[in-house]
Amino acid sequence: MKRFLALAVCASLVLISGCNKSSEPGSGNGSGGKKLTIALMPKSKGNAYFISCKAGADEAAKELGVDLLFDGPTDPDPAKQNEIIENWITLGVDVIAAACENKEGISTALKKARGKGIKVVTFDSDANPDARDFFVNQATPEGIAQTLMDEAARLTDSEGEFAIITASLTAANMNEWRKDIEARLAEKYPKMKLVDTKPCDDLKDKAQAEATNLLSAYPNLKLIMAICSPAVPGTAEAVKQAGKTGTVKVIGLGLPSENRKYVHEGVTQSVILWKTKDLGYLTIKAAVDAANGKLKPGATDYDAGRLGTLKIEGESIVLGKPFIFNDANIDQFDF
Amino acid sequence: MQKYSRELTVAGVLAALLLVLAVTAPAFYEPQPLLSRLAREAPTLVVACGIALVMVTRQIDISIGALFAVCGVSAGLLASAGWPLAAVLAATVFVGALVGAINGVLVAGLRLPSIVVTLATMVILREGLRWWQQGAFINLPDAWQWFGLSQKGGQITLIGCALVILAVLAWASRHLAGVRFLYAVGSNAEAARLAGLRPQWMTLAVFVFMGALTGGAALMNVVQSPQVDPKSGTGLELNAIAAAVVGGVAVSGGRGNLWGVFAGVLLLACINPALTYLHVEAYWEKAIQGAVILLAVIFDGLRNRRNLS
Amino acid sequence: MLRHETILLLVLVAEWFYFNAVGRRFGTLDNTFDIMRHSAEIGLLALVMTPIILTGGIDLSVGSLLGLCAILFGKLWRDAGMSLPMAAACTLLIGAGAGGLNATLIAGLRLPALIVTLGTYSLFRGFAEAITHGVDTFTNFPDSFLALGQQHFAGLPTQVWFFLVVAIGVWLLVHRMTFGRSFRAIGFAPEGARFAGLPVERRLVLAYVLAGFVAALAAIIYTARLGQAKADAGTGYELFAITAVVLGGTSIFGGVGSVHGTLLGVAAIAVLNNGLVHARQPREVAGMLTGVLLLVALGASALPKLLAKLRPPRHAPAPLSSPTHPS
Repeated sequence: MKRFLALAVCASLVLISGCNKSSEPGSGNGSGGKKLTIALMPKSKGNAYFISCKAGADEAAKELGVDLLFDGPTDPDPAKQNEIIENWITLGVDVIAAACENKEGISTALKKARGKGIKVVTFDSDANPDARDFFVNQATPEGIAQTLMDEAARLTDSEGEFAIITASLTAANMNEWRKDIEARLAEKYPKMKLVDTKPCDDLKDKAQAEATNLLSAYPNLKLIMAICSPAVPGTAEAVKQAGKTGTVKVIGLGLPSENRKYVHEGVTQSVILWKTKDLGYLTIKAAVDAANGKLKPGATDYDAGRLGTLKIEGESIVLGKPFIFNDANIDQFDF
Repeated sequence: MQKYSRELTVAGVLAALLLVLAVTAPAFYEPQPLLSRLAREAPTLVVACGIALVMVTRQIDISIGALFAVCGVSAGLLASAGWPLAAVLAATVFVGALVGAINGVLVAGLRLPSIVVTLATMVILREGLRWWQQGAFINLPDAWQWFGLSQKGGQITLIGCALVILAVLAWASRHLAGVRFLYAVGSNAEAARLAGLRPQWMTLAVFVFMGALTGGAALMNVVQSPQVDPKSGTGLELNAIAAAVVGGVAVSGGRGNLWGVFAGVLLLACINPALTYLHVEAYWEKAIQGAVILLAVIFDGLRNRRNLS
Repeated sequence: MLRHETILLLVLVAEWFYFNAVGRRFGTLDNTFDIMRHSAEIGLLALVMTPIILTGGIDLSVGSLLGLCAILFGKLWRDAGMSLPMAAACTLLIGAGAGGLNATLIAGLRLPALIVTLGTYSLFRGFAEAITHGVDTFTNFPDSFLALGQQHFAGLPTQVWFFLVVAIGVWLLVHRMTFGRSFRAIGFAPEGARFAGLPVERRLVLAYVLAGFVAALAAIIYTARLGQAKADAGTGYELFAITAVVLGGTSIFGGVGSVHGTLLGVAAIAVLNNGLVHARQPREVAGMLTGVLLLVALGASALPKLLAKLRPPRHAPAPLSSPTHPS
């Protein structure tokens, strides 16, 4: 008896919900002067890099008078980004701005959003081209990989062994960088050899442990490339503790604030990144302009407010090239 | 000898692995990386000892990883606020013990199953910490690394601390009545109660102790580098439980030897570096870990069958 | 005192009304379909976890098995050239086989389920990573396949029909067939069940093989929903499944529980996760509230027993609690 009661209650809840009208498409230009809602999604929450992007995004949101939603997955399951995006579709946001962890996977959800009239902008990592309107690009994956590889070559005189520490073996954008790094290596630096690639699962301590082992297992190692941001200080600490400062070079993609000490001590030679705040700012500005029609498909230039006029290549709004932080300039940045 | 056959087997496998490495990759024994590796495993050993005692009592605690991170972050924040080492140690251990007490009260007081309680506290702690810190690293004051000692001195101190804790607990689990009673509680709580013990209080105590050890271990980890990563401790509960199980601790309670746990910790800690030194691809790591756990427990099962028949 | 499932139903109703009030688009049909689609795979895992937990066991490997089956499915289709139905059939068999591995060790060798499945949790995920080198993903599935996870069929999202079939099947298995009684008996007292003549090993094999089979089914649905198969698919799903089962009133010690409780548990968590997005709360809050909900639900059912224990007068000796149940 009780079971039927339960079933009846559940069924009636579903029926009640059916009486509400189904969600309308996103309000596009904003109905009757309503504030635009921009939904910003990092690759995952609890990631200091995306928090620094968010600082710029908050700035833009305040300046342009829009509502900013910020949410993302808290665990590594690939489907989580999709689920949040689908929730936002139902919620009826105006623009979705996402950093894509899984290119093909997330495109499923983003295409659905576009189908409902929601504008889609990707930043930091792209989705499939038919799944978004614009890609706010701080630098192409090839550009990032090439900068890393070229910098590694510069520091080792283009010869010798090096190793890579990545986040996890399944991290999609790291894998893309690894592919491009290896391509650049094969193309331009025949005298250099990539001896090993280790995952650190996004943990600084694990990166330190892996680097310690790499330093000892490959005595001729000349450089470690840490392409996941917690791995850069972790690797540096390992090199320092092994007493190999300067002998084994350390470069990577990371935040200046996490690496300042090691750069000044000469343990880490170069930290490659870009102005994350600008990236966040540009993402929101482009999102708003995509929604209100100021940024149209097919445009070749974009007036990005305080960032000046930026080029659009295809559908990629390029912020610029990767920036190399080193001993000389790292103190100028506070993120 | 027969009684310790399990632990001796693990030690044997460990010795075999170490021998293989000595022959094929002698670089494994280079002093500095070896010392670094051992220092890095010291917190895991401490936590594994704690979880072994929890398992002996026929409970489990899967919140230790999240608690480790929370204690580490607390230590980092207090240290950068200028608190001295002793105060930070006391505070970190206290935070750990407090969370352990919450776990303990729910398990022993409300008689809730420990796996579910600690699952809930794990999620609450982990998500709460992520919400609070948003992944930001905490920079420690300069004098903090290695307790202010030299690197080598610090590492030896950490390894020494872990070994002392291990030795004391191993001795206590054989000779100290209070700890021996945990075995009784784990074997048959009802019989223990009838014998005059108080299983609920002992369960509470073991959870508080586990929390305190986790806090201490977190501090041991914090002093090994100049920054605290709020994600540290991810996967720690799995490693610790796996090490305890491989080391012969029974998840059904009442059985287990801390020296076995020591061997288990070392064995599991060797797998990852062994892959690097033997130039094996990194993507085999999880499969090998899983296989080691299964082999250890299958060995147990086969031995039990043989004993029973 | 109210039954556990009734309390959970009230929680679910309360969640629904709250989120309906707070979120403008929460109570829409589209959102209900969202909730169904997002919880289909995890719901399947929770459903098959129920008989396992009823027997006093546990299966921590279902999430990893989902990931392994997903990439095997992709690999069989893309690299071995199988047709999708053929690849799906093979994947289901492999899933059942993997469940059989768990079953052999747990039922055959009488090893503790927690540790065996802790080992297979790493082993299965490890195989998935080893086969793909972590890097390989499988994508570009034909639209007809993707419809399984993304389109509707007869008014409901396609995967919901599969879920309903499995839900009804497991419900019948546990509540109307003798299997269910065996599961409970095994959970309550394994040795007693054996002496009573129950084929304990066969029942356990059924439970774990079924879990493997359904995990493979969930993997195929997941791949269709996402449009991509990766080695880390299903990370963390086992904990969600266990939470849903326990929330639904099934005792982790075994012997007590229900499938409709599990369904309510899945619904409660899924609605919570979905509703909090509509309430514009960050993801972390959803996680924390799930943990709190679990503790509150457990505490609420334990409290009456505890109060009853404290009430009898001091001079009367306390009754012995059951020797087979850990107190």
